[in-house]
Amino acid sequence: MASISLRNASLDYPLYGAYDHSLKRRLLGHLIREQSGMRIIRAVDNITIEAEAGARIGLAGPNGSGKSTLLRLIAGVYPPSCGSVAIKGNIVPLLGLNAGVNLDFVAEDNIALLLRISGRKPTRAIIDEIWAFTELEERMQRLPLRMFSSGMLMRVLFATATAFPADILLLDEWLSVVDENFSAKAQARLIKLVSQAAIVIIASHDQPLLRRTCSTIINLDHGRVASTVAVEPPATHPFELREKRA
Amino acid sequence: MTPVSEPTRPSVLHIFKVYYPDLFGGTLTVIRDICTSLKDAFTSAVLVCSKSADERRNIVVNDIAVERVQSFGDVLSLPAAPTYPWRLWRKIAQHDLLALHAPFPLADLVFAFGLARKRPLVVHWHADIVTHAGLRWFVEPLMRRTLRQAAAIIVSDHVLVDRTPLLREFADKCHAVPFGIDTTKYDWPRIDPQHVNDRGRLVLACGRLVPYKGFEVLIRAAQGRNFEVWIIGEGAERARLEQLIEELGVGDRVRLLGSVPDCERVKLMCIADVFAMPSVTNAETFGLVQLEAMAAGRPVVNTALDTAVPHVARDGIEAITVPPGDSAALGDAIDTLIRDPERRRRMGLAARTRAATRYSAAAFKNGMETVYAQVLAASTSRSATSSATPGWLDVIRIAGALAWSDMRHRYVRSLLGPFWMSLQMAIVVAVLGSVIGQMSNAGVLARLPMLALSMTAWTFLNSVVLDATTALQGSASLIRDRALPPVIFLLQCTFRQALFALHNACVPLVLWLLLTPRDLSHALAALPGLLLFIACTFALSLVLGAMATRYRDLKPIIESSLMLGFLSSPVIWSTEMINHRSTIMRLNPLTHLFAVWREPLVGGHVDTLSIVYVLACLAGLTFASWLTLVHLRKAAFWI
Repeated sequence: MASISLRNASLDYPLYGAYDHSLKRRLLGHLIREQSGMRIIRAVDNITIEAEAGARIGLAGPNGSGKSTLLRLIAGVYPPSCGSVAIKGNIVPLLGLNAGVNLDFVAEDNIALLLRISGRKPTRAIIDEIWAFTELEERMQRLPLRMFSSGMLMRVLFATATAFPADILLLDEWLSVVDENFSAKAQARLIKLVSQAAIVIIASHDQPLLRRTCSTIINLDHGRVASTVAVEPPATHPFELREKRA
Repeated sequence: MTPVSEPTRPSVLHIFKVYYPDLFGGTLTVIRDICTSLKDAFTSAVLVCSKSADERRNIVVNDIAVERVQSFGDVLSLPAAPTYPWRLWRKIAQHDLLALHAPFPLADLVFAFGLARKRPLVVHWHADIVTHAGLRWFVEPLMRRTLRQAAAIIVSDHVLVDRTPLLREFADKCHAVPFGIDTTKYDWPRIDPQHVNDRGRLVLACGRLVPYKGFEVLIRAAQGRNFEVWIIGEGAERARLEQLIEELGVGDRVRLLGSVPDCERVKLMCIADVFAMPSVTNAETFGLVQLEAMAAGRPVVNTALDTAVPHVARDGIEAITVPPGDSAALGDAIDTLIRDPERRRRMGLAARTRAATRYSAAAFKNGMETVYAQVLAASTSRSATSSATPGWLDVIRIAGALAWSDMRHRYVRSLLGPFWMSLQMAIVVAVLGSVIGQMSNAGVLARLPMLALSMTAWTFLNSVVLDATTALQGSASLIRDRALPPVIFLLQCTFRQALFALHNACVPLVLWLLLTPRDLSHALAALPGLLLFIACTFALSLVLGAMATRYRDLKPIIESSLMLGFLSSPVIWSTEMINHRSTIMRLNPLTHLFAVWREPLVGGHVDTLSIVYVLACLAGLTFASWLTLVHLRKAAFWI
């Protein structure tokens, strides 16, 4: 079963300045014994999270408190500097919707490529299903994404990214991108996706949203856990949905 | 047979050298007991060898599917079945758990070469190799590798772990699960288990007629006494034992009964007065037959081996234990029991109680089931962990998809698509060809195909490396937001440029078809060299791609070095155009990287120096690539 286990995980994030990307500078620096000016910030500091199937964790905190970095650490983008990160189950990180998008390609090809990147085989039926969700015209499938308005583009990307259920779902600032008309439908779909995933971790500024969706809220500050709040299970739709599924 | 009701029952493949109906014996009984007692939780299958000429290779024994691989006889106690490792390798994927019944070096071969890593392995340690100890130096490393891969090792008694040096190395994996026996099978209705024949003098022994069973000692022990010895079993030693019986003149009291059906054997166990197990070597690890005799309520005479044998039936309680190979002591012990019916009754009762409590079939079943279930659970959780990060196959698949989409994109934007590049290549070759034609008076036309091909190869190498220097930055969002391993995008460069190179290759191909006598054998001879070229290119792009991402000022340096390398190599020149190769040209790796496939293509001979040079480069690059791959996760910080 899916589980996430972070034990005293820390991440030192090296901040490369303009000169830190220079090999010449670095070699010269060694010769003239210049102190290395590279700055390291501790983006994630000694965090321990144990999550089993069913966990709904919300990450809250001001900008730069390490929410996204923590999500990336869990997703395996960054190796932990110390401590251990053990993940069981397949992770679907939805951290940025427009990763891997090529605006010159037609919509259809973009969808197929994005599906391939997430390890799925794109079939006609799947692409049509995704397209149906976007509520865009059929012929637009063959237009390059460059010609789409930003709202349309987001519909396509959102529909593609959320087409398949995941064991572990990592969401960064969900829904802030989708336009008003589409929002209700997208919301419903995300909630469905969340209800199907074994573990969900959401980073957001939106406290009411976190309280609606999560069972635990972790407040981060400067990479450290400032407080952990257990949320009373609300009787709103995520719960009803889960019961219906059962 | 009933159809499998729950498809979720995990399946276990038992691996051993022989199975029913080709042979009978303790180990086979154990395998059969495991299969039948676990049939509610696991489906079992058996893969063994068989000497029999019987055409039926797949048979069903006691509801268990058995596949028998053809063997041509025994060599050093091992079946000579050359196809066994192959069959085993093929079958591994069909099962969830592998149960190897050791020792079986033929299967160790498969496990030692790591061909079964995908499935969890349980080793049932039945015995150490005793008979052909001279082959230990060869077999032991194999067995060690197998044990290292095993998720669990099952032994019949903990004493085996303490006494076997090889098992001591893996003591933390060893589980002692004593064999179990169903004592109700030995409730022979006509004879009360407590029954003792006051004037009884029947000594029973049972086992294959092989040297380690020590029947020779038992026959010698019978000399000059007045008990009778019946030996159940068949085997290669029969003729020798018969001769011994004749020589000692004990033919009236010692009988070799041969093979006996199971129910008859139970009856014989029940009517015997003393059960003897005179085994002489540690190949006897447990002695399932003595447990059967105990279940039948018989007193046992066993031997003081370094194995579980004297622990199953303990000296003075259920048995009299004598030194192995000592026929006088064995005879004395039997005589002691024969003369003392009360002691026989007492020991028999103790034996039956011990068999029913300490060695119950239920405990055996539970023990096996627990170990199997633990191993399966551990392996599924491990495989789930590994699926969290894409495997190598996924990496290649994603890189391929990305490269393919890059190429399609070129087609989308223009009518000619990547053939623009082919056209460009054709123009370059035409211009270069005419220039070179001015410089030397040799036949220009004949040299054009090679020039075109060299330019194609050079373009490939150059663009792969240059692409790689910016690939990671270009895919920053996929690396950071979709958590894709950075190596995908370096691989994508090679794939993409390989696809473009195939388009460019039209030019040399057309020229080759038009201008030269077509000799396919030369093209085949050039293939290994070409593969070396591609491998070096990929490794170079991996190393330089990662370094150029970390140190941005490397890119211009790489660009100019490649150009220098190109100009100081005979890529556009052919060897005869330069009479005295300059030192720089000889030191230039590009010279040799091209020589290894260009020379065979024109029917020439590759200089050994070139091959050594290229192989050394490849070795160095492979090492550097390995270092790069180790550190590539940090690339997420660099982009």
